[in-house]
Amino acid sequence: MTLPFARENEFLVVYLPPISRALVFRIVGVYNNGYQKIEYGPIPISAGTTLPTYEGGATTVPEDGVMPARSYTRDAVRFPMEGAYDESDMWRFPEDWNERLFHILQVVKPGFLRIEAQIPPGAIQPKFQRDKVLGGVEKDFGFTRGKFEIVQLPGVSVGYRYGNDTNLDVYTYVRFYYAEYMVEIVKDAEMVYNILMKRVPSRWYTYPVTYLHPRIIESLKKAYGFEGFPLLYRREEAVKRYEELIQLVRR
Amino acid sequence: MGELITFYGKVSGLGDYSLTSPAIRGNVGYIRIPKGVKLKIWAKRIAGPATTVAIMFTRDVTASSVTWETIGTEHLASAGEITLEKRRPIVVVGYTGKEAIKFSRVGPSGATDESYVEFDIEFVWDDE
Repeated sequence: MTLPFARENEFLVVYLPPISRALVFRIVGVYNNGYQKIEYGPIPISAGTTLPTYEGGATTVPEDGVMPARSYTRDAVRFPMEGAYDESDMWRFPEDWNERLFHILQVVKPGFLRIEAQIPPGAIQPKFQRDKVLGGVEKDFGFTRGKFEIVQLPGVSVGYRYGNDTNLDVYTYVRFYYAEYMVEIVKDAEMVYNILMKRVPSRWYTYPVTYLHPRIIESLKKAYGFEGFPLLYRREEAVKRYEELIQLVRR
Repeated sequence: MGELITFYGKVSGLGDYSLTSPAIRGNVGYIRIPKGVKLKIWAKRIAGPATTVAIMFTRDVTASSVTWETIGTEHLASAGEITLEKRRPIVVVGYTGKEAIKFSRVGPSGATDESYVEFDIEFVWDDE
């Protein structure tokens, strides 16, 4: 499997569509070289949990980690890990770890399970025609099957919803591939312009959100001092604006 | 993208095979095909006494009276086992999410003994 991760000294752009801004990072190092896999285990849903069904009813999880037939998770699932910064959400880390960034590829078995990310948990992101129609695992759009790629930003919590539209009660399994990047915000305005104009190669990751929750903006400001570089195509205007923003960057 | 699951079936006499797998909890009588997903039946194994197995398909498993049509049959001519693989798969597609397949023992008539099957079924999506 080809992993989507950046390597040392590459640039990573995290583009935030709702505000048309991008965070431009240089990968200073990859902390977990050679060990990019976490065999997590079943999706953390407990026996006895009530889940809604695609038929409009409800069903009960019969055994830990089993996704019942024709059911989906109403609430976003996070992944507990003992000893992690946030033991209820292994991927969340604080804003003052702004030199860290996690790039995660979640692989779920069986692969036909639907996956949707809520950023932060509770915020529905898939939408059609502005906000006219909401998507998600219980709809015909707004989900992937089997895999989900995310860049985990400091202070931001991501929850996942899962759907099983077969008639099979399935045992689930989650494997994470991840890169724990050591990063810095690029502080050369000319370089930022060239990266955003795609004159310099970079990994471009578009954050899967239609709406940027105020909590995310707050976390970005706390972590980096600003919420990203706007996409500007006039060079002089862009470089001037980027120089101003670079002054705000938290060291 | 795909996920290959082996289903194991058993039936006493004639009728639908009860299917299970290490990947699923419990047994099912049919497999419903998610909307936008294809099922590819790659390999078939039949074991036990002489048997005719029908592969059956319906467009609407939620109907009050489900109509099943036979889309394939396999025969085990005498007691023993037969493995049928490395052939072009049988492909069934979920257009509405209500389609389903099942496997039925339809012969020989009057059979009362136990018959066993295995099917390697791949769930395939995003294969445009």
